[in-house]
Amino acid sequence: MPVVQSASDTDFVFSVCLPLLQTAQNSDGGWGFHSGSPSRVEATCWALLSLIHLEPSNEQHETGFRFLRGTQLPDGSWPSSAEQSVGCWATSLACWVLESDPASREAVAAGLNWICKDLPRGPSLFQRVISSINRRNKVVAQDESLQGWGWTPDTASWVEPTAFALIALDQAPKELLPNGAGKRCQSAKALLYNRMCREGGWNCGNPMVYGVPGDPLVEPTVWALLALRNESQRPEVAKSLAWLEKSIPTTLGAGSLALAKICFETFAKEWPPNAPDLKDLYAKNEFLASIPVLAWTCLALGAKTIWPGTKAVVCTDAKN
Amino acid sequence: MQRTENPLVPPFRRPPSHVAIRRVDSYERDFFALIYETLRELQKRETAEQTRPQAPGVPASTSTTLAQIRGKTVLLKPNFVTLDPLSAINTHPAIVAAARESFLKLGAAQVLIGDGPALDRDTEAVVESVRLREYVGPLQRSFTDLNVDDVARVPLRTRASRLKELYLPKTVLAADFVVSMPKLKTHHWAGVTLSLKNMFGIVPGGCYGWPKNVLHWAGIDNAILDINATVRPDFAIVDGINGMEGNGPIQGVPKKTNVVVFGNDPVAVDATCCRIMGLLPEKIKYLAGAGTLLGHLNHDKIEQLGESIASVRTPFAVLKEFEGIKEVDRQKRN
Repeated sequence: MPVVQSASDTDFVFSVCLPLLQTAQNSDGGWGFHSGSPSRVEATCWALLSLIHLEPSNEQHETGFRFLRGTQLPDGSWPSSAEQSVGCWATSLACWVLESDPASREAVAAGLNWICKDLPRGPSLFQRVISSINRRNKVVAQDESLQGWGWTPDTASWVEPTAFALIALDQAPKELLPNGAGKRCQSAKALLYNRMCREGGWNCGNPMVYGVPGDPLVEPTVWALLALRNESQRPEVAKSLAWLEKSIPTTLGAGSLALAKICFETFAKEWPPNAPDLKDLYAKNEFLASIPVLAWTCLALGAKTIWPGTKAVVCTDAKN
Repeated sequence: MQRTENPLVPPFRRPPSHVAIRRVDSYERDFFALIYETLRELQKRETAEQTRPQAPGVPASTSTTLAQIRGKTVLLKPNFVTLDPLSAINTHPAIVAAARESFLKLGAAQVLIGDGPALDRDTEAVVESVRLREYVGPLQRSFTDLNVDDVARVPLRTRASRLKELYLPKTVLAADFVVSMPKLKTHHWAGVTLSLKNMFGIVPGGCYGWPKNVLHWAGIDNAILDINATVRPDFAIVDGINGMEGNGPIQGVPKKTNVVVFGNDPVAVDATCCRIMGLLPEKIKYLAGAGTLLGHLNHDKIEQLGESIASVRTPFAVLKEFEGIKEVDRQKRN
């Protein structure tokens, strides 16, 4: 694809990625993971997040917001696909996106409430006591008392859903935060630091298994860093940014690369000159036709505003 | 979906399974000839078997056999996990590409390749690190990311775990012939990860996350049984040229075994692989369960082609928790 490769980043976004994103919207207002696929909550969130940062508000955004409001479950959560009746991590993404839509205030409040009530599953007190006595047989070396968020209800805490929930709670209007949000955020941030890999960065959430250190990955590292973006003075954050910087030149996936670029801009760090070019990666595999990757690329190369935004006050309890 | 309606048959009502072991010492060789010839040989045996009268009371299978592959859609499900410079973690792309060519030459209408990596949601990065594109061309045309495929709700055929249903990729459900293509590895929670455990990779991260933690809480062994009882992979090709022992499936030690194992019964293939690894298949919880309804565990019910197990047997080290599955330990106890 020589045309794509010779285009500027802005041309690439506005002549290739953005039109693909715009035309992939389904008649129900949502987006699938690929153009022509049935609408899914997560893909819709990424597409909308990108569009609302790149264009003035328009009818396409409104129908997207309506799709999201229409797929919210009675308990306030969002499922991954419309047919499912159980909420998941997509709730954080939906709240994050709908926070910019005044008509979705109630939906966001219900979603935030669900997030704060959604407790991860962990070992029982008895299992924790046995595990602390029998350290030699411990499978994972991490503080099991810390609580973040799982991908789906009644499962353990993992790095990415924890980061998504932290970002959603952080972005939310303070008056919509339910009681206990601050405490949940505190524990979740402690969990992220506890789950950091030895060399900096994060993987899905197991920094050590059977005594062997796990390798960090780009995407979880980016999400954890974005969730901790107001704590840039912490040495763990600096160490993880350094790991990310070291990893960028060998990054093979467009999704990882786009997210890393967003992360660098958020932390006002210079983009490494030897980083791969997203346009080159598009020429190889067309991003596997992924709507989320197209959306992240638009945000990475085309968004004029700082994303996901910085705030001085983070996750305070509304009624404390 | 027809794939999820295939009857479950106990071993005493099943015909013998066919498993072939081929010795291969390097990833540099011509895999197409090896795989195509082996598939042809297995196909001939199946064709001969299909002419025999069916035993009374055995429900008719709705699945496609190797002998009926012409005009069908085949899905190859390799095990792609993460960056793997030593080729000990992921199914080697040379084997995947040769399997694709072989099934096409056997008359398959199309051969798809699909996986849903469990730990890294950047599937493009995983598949690029495996170098699949070098063997099969641009990924957007040759590879399906099962993590974000369109899904359908599927009630599970068995109740080994507490899961009652799963949302599964339509690409898998629509395929006529599913080939599980794992690596030969030990697994720190399940004992071994072979063709049955490899089917975890069809469960979509887009519905259940990365990792698919709901399966772990449902009990790994039981979830493996429920997924395989429901989706019923039709065939297995195990890349055992370079495998992994100890703390697998990612953090173990590479182990050269120099075999590729094929078969029309994934349970029989996994049991054979265990025997090659010096492990007792009946001691692996999910395999013992699979032997009751999904395939043959018993060596007497497996018609062996190619190399003998004894000639390629390469004992694998296992974590202390799994010492009881080693053949040598059992012999010592007796």
